[in-house]
Amino acid sequence: MTIFDRLGSFFGRERRYDGSAAISCDDAVRRVQEFLDGELEDVSPEEVRAHFDACQRCYPHLRFEESFREAVRRAAGRETAPPELRERLLRLISEARSDG
Amino acid sequence: MPSSADGGAADASGERPGFAEEALPYLDAVYRFALGLTASADEAEDLVQETFLRALRSWDQYTRGTRAKSWLFTICRNVFLRERQRTRRHEEILSESVDRSGPARAHAVSPLWASVEDVDPEGGFFGKVVDARILEAIFELPEEYRTAVVLSDVEGLSYAEIAELVQVPVGTVKSRLFRGRRRLQELLYEHAVEMGYLPSAAEKGIAG
Repeated sequence: MTIFDRLGSFFGRERRYDGSAAISCDDAVRRVQEFLDGELEDVSPEEVRAHFDACQRCYPHLRFEESFREAVRRAAGRETAPPELRERLLRLISEARSDG
Repeated sequence: MPSSADGGAADASGERPGFAEEALPYLDAVYRFALGLTASADEAEDLVQETFLRALRSWDQYTRGTRAKSWLFTICRNVFLRERQRTRRHEEILSESVDRSGPARAHAVSPLWASVEDVDPEGGFFGKVVDARILEAIFELPEEYRTAVVLSDVEGLSYAEIAELVQVPVGTVKSRLFRGRRRLQELLYEHAVEMGYLPSAAEKGIAG
């Protein structure tokens, strides 16, 4: 094995280890939605995560989508059924029960 | 409120858990889903009430072990569709055109991202938009997009669960979801520029 082979395999292993060479920037960014949805099909979440963690260029894309989702979840998730509706339903349910 | 309201377990039938205990914990989730469908608080209230009453009537058909939440969502959507068919047929036809450009093309980088790349690449502006404005923006989405976004981003349903609920292929769910998110991002971006959270494209042009 030449020194070049050794260097090659050394760096190859290094890059595989931190994940940044496992998938390309294109692949990572294209999959950002599926990644955040937990719905990746052909690559593992670890591979995608490793790429985003290691790649300065792609990381903001991940953060961008995360910021967006956090905002949507916060805004819409805070909505709750009005208390009158809850009380009305409880009443209707208990009425139905005593009828049946 | 009668004090026996929680006493479903004491029903003569005995072996089944009470409707109230099984279904009511999902009231908020069903309400949010109904909001997503109707984009109106008043209509959502009516829809939720009708949903729970129907669910109560078909409680015998509910199979234990199925997810009560999905079951309620399905009923909710059916009630909504039936109601809408009766009142506003044309909207359905309109919204069908939404998916024509086909799935999967919306995967890649948000086109919007290029506009914020220099000023706010991590989308911090999303966090500045007030809840009420975000809800308004969600209501502005076409219904198919809105439903997908609410079910996924707010209620955490999987693609497959949404597909089953909405009766479309998973690819269509993804397409609607990704497009819905893009559209929502654009609406929030426009708002953020209006509010001065972000410089407008014109201002950026001057600066650059």
